[in-house]
Parts: sequence; C-alpha cells; structure tokens
Amino acid sequence: MQDTVDRAAEPEFEDEEEPSFSDPEDFADDIDDEELLEDILREKPLEADGIDSVVVVDNVPQVGPERLEKLKNVIHKIFSKFGKITNEFYPEVDGMTKGYIFLEYAAPNQALEAVKNADGYKLDKQHTFRVNVFTDFDKYMSISDEWEPPEKQPFKDFGNMRHWIEDPDCRDQYSVIYESGERTAIFSNDPKEPILVEERARWTETYVRWSPKGTYLATFHQRGIALWGGEKFKQIQRFSHQGVSLIDFSPCERYVVTFSPLMDTKEDPQAIIIWDILTGQKKRGFHCESSAHWPIFKWSQDGKFFARMTQDTLSIYETPSMGLLDKKSLKISGIKDFSWSPGDNIIAFWVPEDKDIPARVTLMQFPSRQEIRVRNLFNVVDCKLHWQRQGDYLCVKVDRTPKGTQGVVTNFEIFRMREKQVPVDVVEMKESIIAFAWEPNGSKFAVLHGESPRINASFYHVKNNGKIELIKMFDKQQANSIFWSPQGQFMVLAGLRSMNGALAFVDTSDCTMMNIAEHYMASDVEWDPTGRYVVTSVSWWSHKVDNAYWLWTFQGRLLQKNNKDRFCQLLWRPRPPTLLSQEQIKMIKKDLKKYSKIFEQKDRLSQSKASKELVDKRRLMMEEYRQYRDKAMQTYNQQRELRLQLRGGVDTDELDSNVEDWEEETIEFFINEEIIPFGDLE
Amino acid sequence: MKPILLQGHERSITQIKYNREGDLLFSVAKDTVANVWYSVNGERLGTYNGHTGAVWCVDVDWDTKSVLTGSADNSCRLWDCETGKQLALLQTNSAVRTCGFDFSGNIIMFSTDKQMGYQCYLNFFDLRDPQQIEDNQPYVSVPCSESRITSAIWGPLGEFVIAGHENGEINQFSAKSGEVLKKVKEHTKQINDIQPSVDLTMAITASKDNTAKLFDSTSLEHIKTFKTERPVNSAAISPIMDHVVMGGGQEAMEVTTTSTRIGKFEARFFHAAYEEEFGRVKGHFGPINCVAFHPDGKSYSSGGEDGYVRIHYFDPQYFDFELEA
Repeated sequence: MQDTVDRAAEPEFEDEEEPSFSDPEDFADDIDDEELLEDILREKPLEADGIDSVVVVDNVPQVGPERLEKLKNVIHKIFSKFGKITNEFYPEVDGMTKGYIFLEYAAPNQALEAVKNADGYKLDKQHTFRVNVFTDFDKYMSISDEWEPPEKQPFKDFGNMRHWIEDPDCRDQYSVIYESGERTAIFSNDPKEPILVEERARWTETYVRWSPKGTYLATFHQRGIALWGGEKFKQIQRFSHQGVSLIDFSPCERYVVTFSPLMDTKEDPQAIIIWDILTGQKKRGFHCESSAHWPIFKWSQDGKFFARMTQDTLSIYETPSMGLLDKKSLKISGIKDFSWSPGDNIIAFWVPEDKDIPARVTLMQFPSRQEIRVRNLFNVVDCKLHWQRQGDYLCVKVDRTPKGTQGVVTNFEIFRMREKQVPVDVVEMKESIIAFAWEPNGSKFAVLHGESPRINASFYHVKNNGKIELIKMFDKQQANSIFWSPQGQFMVLAGLRSMNGALAFVDTSDCTMMNIAEHYMASDVEWDPTGRYVVTSVSWWSHKVDNAYWLWTFQGRLLQKNNKDRFCQLLWRPRPPTLLSQEQIKMIKKDLKKYSKIFEQKDRLSQSKASKELVDKRRLMMEEYRQYRDKAMQTYNQQRELRLQLRGGVDTDELDSNVEDWEEETIEFFINEEIIPFGDLE
Repeated sequence: MKPILLQGHERSITQIKYNREGDLLFSVAKDTVANVWYSVNGERLGTYNGHTGAVWCVDVDWDTKSVLTGSADNSCRLWDCETGKQLALLQTNSAVRTCGFDFSGNIIMFSTDKQMGYQCYLNFFDLRDPQQIEDNQPYVSVPCSESRITSAIWGPLGEFVIAGHENGEINQFSAKSGEVLKKVKEHTKQINDIQPSVDLTMAITASKDNTAKLFDSTSLEHIKTFKTERPVNSAAISPIMDHVVMGGGQEAMEVTTTSTRIGKFEARFFHAAYEEEFGRVKGHFGPINCVAFHPDGKSYSSGGEDGYVRIHYFDPQYFDFELEA
C-alpha cells in the first residue's frame, strides 16, 4: 500500500493533463509474487518436470547416418511397449551416435516400466541395454564423498530352523486345524499320545501348507501369506498378495508362488507372483486365466527351472533371473499336459492326434532342449503322466479306442528312464482304472481297476530283465485310493468318503494283507515322512460329525483315536533330505540290531514312566475329590434336622433308615410257563 | 449283564425316573403316555392317561404318593400314583418342559417353553394351598427373558431350583422369591439334562457341547468335566460308587449318516474322580435320551429315541472294578 505521504508528494492534478497513475521510476513494490499469484505459481512448470519421464539407454550400437533410421525403428519398436514415446534424442559425435540415447515418455510410470523391463535386454551379442531413469543420474552424482556405513539392521535370529529334526525321540511333527479353522496346533507325534508343541487361535484364515523340506509353515490371510518357522514358530516372512487363495513352493524352498484371483491388471500382472523367500522380494508377476490346475507353474526337481503350459505353448523360465530360458517359449501345437521328472531336469509332455500325425509323448532334456525319447500312440482318447518318485520310471496311462471298437481300453506305457535309449514296455489293462501309484524308492506300482462293487487291486513289478510282472491281484476290494509309504514297500488301500473308510494295510514285499480295518467315513489318509505311522482322518470339511484323526502303525495296528472338535486337516511336517551318505546308511542298516536294543530299552522306560505319571495324576484327583466330598458330607450331616422336619419326622437319609416302618409281604410273580410234552400217549 | 427290555411306548422316551425307594420306574414319551413299571422284573403296573401331547417330564414325590408330569399339550398334571387318577390339571400357555417335587413333596415347580409369543416361565405352586391349584395361580412365577430353561431340579432342602438353560447357563432360582441367587456359565451349548446325586449335594449337567459336568448343588462350584465327542443327552451319578453314566447321540437328522451298525448307541461310564471313561453298554437302536441309576446303585436304566427302556443289573465285576491309582 502506498503511503499517504507519497501521494502528497505527487505533482498537482491539472485539469488538462491526464494524471499519471504510473508508479515512480524507482518504485519497487513490496508485495511478492507468492502472495498475489499463489495459485498460479503453483502450476509453474518446474525445471525438473518432464525429467521424471526420461530414460537413458546405454550400450546402444554406435551407427552412422545410413543406419540411424533403422536403429531408431528398432529402438522405437522395443521401447514403445512400455508407453507413449513423446521425445527422443540420439546424441552424436563425429557423425556416429554416441552409444547412448534419451527417450521421453508421456508419464513417469511408463519410464519406470521401461527401466524394469528393458534393463538387461540383449539386443545382440555385443549390446545389452542398460536403462535408467534420468533422475537417477542426479541421485548418483550427488552421492556424498563421505561414505557412511549403512545402519545395521538388527539381526532377526529365528533360531535353529531345523530344530524339530533334533528331537531325541525322533518324533515327527504334524499340523492340525480344528474348530472349523479357528485353531491351528502343531503336535509332536508320540505313539502314546500327541504332544502339543504350539497352538494358536486364528493362526490361519483358511488352511496351512508346509514347505517341501519342512522348514516353513505357510498360513493364509486376506492380505497375503505368512511363513513361520524355527523352534518357536516365529514369523519369518510375510508376502502381501491380496486375496491369495493358492500357493506352491519351489522344491529347494527358495521361492514361493502365490495365486490370487483378485488383483490382476493388464499393465501389472499380479494373479501369480513369485517371491524370494529369504529376502521377501517380489521377483516376478504373471497373468493367470484360471487356477483350475494348480500349480500352474511346475518346478524342476532342483528348483533351477519352472514351466507353464498355455495354448500351444510351453514356457520354461530359469531362476534366479526369472526370465524365459533362451528368451523364448517352446511352440508345441496342441500340447495337453506336461510334467517334470522328479529326478532329473526332464519334461514329459504329450500332444494328441493331429490329422495323420499320431499322438505322441515326448521326453525333453533341459536346458539343452534335446528330445531324449518320442513315443507315438494311436487312437488316443486321453493320457495321464505318472512319474515314479525318484524319476526312475515314467508311466503314461493311455486311454485308447482301438480301431473298429467303441469302448475305451487302457494301456500303461512304462518308460525305463535309467536305461539307454529309454525303452518302453506296455501293460494292457482290461478294466477301467480307478487309481494308479508308483512305489516310492522302488520299482513296483499298484493299480485299482474295475467297477464298484467288483474293484480289484493289482501289484506289478518292473523287472530289470525287460519284463513287467503281475505279482498279485486282490479282488473285491473296498478301495478307491492308493497310499504308498514314502519309504516304499508298505501301503494302504483305502475306500474314502463314499466307501465308508475301509482300510487295507498291505506289505508288498510278499503282497500280504497285514490288516483290514475301518475308520468310518474317513476322508484322508496321510503317511508320516518316515513311513512308520499312518493317520486316517474324518475332516469336518467333508463330514460334520465324528471329526477325529486316528493314528496307526505301518502294519495297521491302531494306536490312538484323537477326537478334535470340528477337526479339519492334518498335515505331516516333511523332513529335509537325509544328510547321510549311502555308505553311512548301509552301515546303520547293518548295525540295526545294536541300535534296536537301545531303543527298546528306552521305550520300555518311557512306558512305565507314563503309567507312573497317570497313576500320580489319578491319586491327586482322587484326593481332591475326597476332600470335597468330606466337606459336602459334613454340611449334609448338619442339615439332618432340617430334612427330618421337611418330611414330617420320617428318616429317609438311607434306603433302609426306616426299616421298622416296612411291612414284609411275599408276592408270587408269574415268571415263565413251560409245557413239557410226555410224548404220544397211545 | 442281560438287560430287561421295557416295551410300552410307541415313540421316543423323553424321561425316566425311579421313585425314592427304587422299586418303581416311571417312563414318559412323545406318544402322550406315562407308564410306571416294577423295576425288579420290568412288569408294567399301569399308565397315567390324560395328556394329549408329548410328555416331556415326570417326577414322583418322596413318599411315592403323587406323580407330576409336564407335556407339550400345555399342561402340568398331578396324579395319584397308586390309582392313576388325575388329581389336578394346571393349564399353561406353552409346553411344560421340566417339572419336579421339592424335598418335602409340598411344593412343585415346572418350567414352560418359549413358544408362540409366550415367554419361558418358572412356576411354583404350594400343594398345601388348594386355592393355588384351583385358580391356577402359582405363588411365584419367574419369567426368563434371555434363554429358556431346558432342564431343572430342586436344591437339597427345597430353598431353590437349579435350572439349566438353552445357552448353557445354570441359574439358582429362589423358591420363595424367584430371584436369581447364583449363576454360572460353564457349558457352551444347551443343557439337555440335570440330575442330582442321591443325597442332593451334587448335580450333574448333560450338554449339547459334548460334555457333562459335575457341580456342587449349593455353591454351583464346577468340580468335574467328562468329555465325549457326541452331544450328551442325559447323565446320572451313582449312589454308591464314584461313577457317572452318560447317554447321548446326535441330532435326529444326522442319525442316518453315522454307522448304522445295530445297537451302536452306547451308555458310557466314567470314573467321577479321574474323569476317565472305563466302560460302555451297547443295546439301544437310537440315541439315548435319558439315563437313571437305581437308588441302591445296583442297577441303572436308559430310555432311548427307539422307544425302549432298558433296565441293566450290574455284574459283580462292576463293583470290584478299579482303575489303577
């Protein structure tokens, strides 16, 4: 505001001349721009604006003017995938491009996409792009010369992650979900009685999963999954994936794959995410149309590769880069199914018939992509791949309709993986197949075939001499599932759900039935990782009453019946592979008798200890009860007068207290009538 | 032990009761019939006819003079035990769920269900005042707004009634004023039955939450718990041994999904101090609805959904059996 003083100093107003309203020459107003133009100033473009959308691409080929146009086209093609390129700058020196370029996008997030996806892009053998946002340069330039060591993060000690293996009594652990999901507990398996290790309410919102080597327990929550481990089951890691419904671990336990049907967008595939477990980082996201055949990504046995099948394509990715192996997927027209060998980095896949090309099963080695074996199959309706646990054999169950017939016939094509050129033997099955399972650690397989009620169980042995021998067939079995012991040799044939829980325990070394039993309405059978125990259970998810899990020995002797209110799921904790060498295992097996003696002694001791504990507990309970009863009787005796009064003086404290009042009366009861004929009287 | 089978009802048994001396066994069922039998041989003495709906409860006074029954026909009736003649009919607004004579036999209580807009009430009548019966006016009527009473017994000296509710609560109602003297909530689901020990010092409750619990009648202190994996319909305390017997089953609609092996429904015996099960008795073709010990403890009876009442006399081994301690 101008001072009134100044105004007074102005030249006098004259009628003819227009007054001058301009400021005096040396006037400087003391109102700053911010006050007057605040809102407009806010929109003043900053120098830095626009720089956030610029990327610098390094290692671009240095070309002359004749190839510049082509180079620009190539760059454009690659980089316009991430957004709209609004500006580009190819600095030159001496007529050649310098080898780095600037690209500007319409928005900063597009620039970030470019960095994320194009950094490391191999244009050709000599040129691998390095892509950075321009603002990063600023950041890197302004790094102070004084290097400050990074702040030490407190060491999160989770303790011994393999603690449970060190249990001196070799008890395996298992997780139990009960109270319809409200409670989850971890027990240590003792043949006498399960020992509670940990129990938490609402530990998971749906169900749990163990990692393949047993190190982690994964729980599900609306916002993602959590991994727990160590002696006290502390939270090791958390992965945020809204609405996660399915997970899968890599066999090496380095990665976990989560699936959520919710959060998928075109720009940012989030349906499937692969995480690094130790760092907690999100490694890569993928689209996923349907989770019908989970796991969508199948891992190779060493965790080096993971693959998935989409229409006519097999995509194999490698770790840790998470990029496509050889930068491209395999085009396999009509591919129907594939699976990795559990023993080697080999994939088996099959394609159905295509005009005159027969259906075939192919075995392909990775990373070489070499086809080890191809097998043609004729008149195929469907195929299922069954690998033996060690990858020694592959069984392809082929359903065929032979020419000229209507019905479907099943063959088992057995591929002998360990023999040169992978010979294939065929086993023909006359009846429809209900279940098939390889013996782990062995070369036998079991088949359930036929139609209810005439279901048969057959056992075959794949011999070294090229023959596949039928060892034994049991007919009229009540079974719809096969459960081999993880160590081989023993198995359970179970008739789950609709077959009311019929169980048959078989020793396949001589194919004898060790025991036949029943767990009414059993819905699941789970072997412990050592093959010593079997758990059969009735889950609340399939049957609303009698929810319990029963513990049996591998021979079929029932040890425990554990009722749990609304019991849902029991999962054994897997064990990591043994650290012993084959030599050491052989030595132990030789000296087994010696070890047995020590264990038996220990068992006997613990038995008597248990009964002693029980006896002590009972004694204590009885003492407490007696004390209570004595006190109650005291009060009772004190009230005797009152009782007599209430009943008009009649003493009714004992049944025979008023025996004088009793009358004795003898009554005859008619008990029985028996007519004895005296034979025919002539 | 070979049981005596009583076939006198056409529908499921709702309650059975021995008289104080144990020579008579009363049974009532959904078929509107109330029967009385000789417990020594199972011979039927007679029937109390009159109810037109399912009879839910029965009680007999200490002198075996009068019998009290409560029914879904909205009435509580008093009968002469010997002749079977109906002495009084007390009309109610809803089904009578539980009833009983007090220690002196002078006061009766019964509870009515929450039905058709009517609340659950606990009513007390003094039989020495015939006006109350004539006018159908209880001297105390306690409304239960929260959770209806599902089972009730008298306390040891007739001063209060111990009632079990649909929500698992147990309340002590004063017989003089109707006020709540004590309350506890140990069960998580409906209490199906409460029975006193023979000296009335303890009470055992049977609940849908798969457990039975032992309480002190006066203090309502929770003493023992007996766990099973099925809802418990009824429980009783042995007069002479440290045993309790429990009978149960599951919802009628779920019966078809369990094993249909004949006679699978069992009465289970637990040690009262150790809370451990030590024996089972099979025989019923349906869930067991009511169990009762004979006052001399040498036999027990059970009434089932199958309409049968079974009287079991214990073998000598039962009395010698001991759990190691």
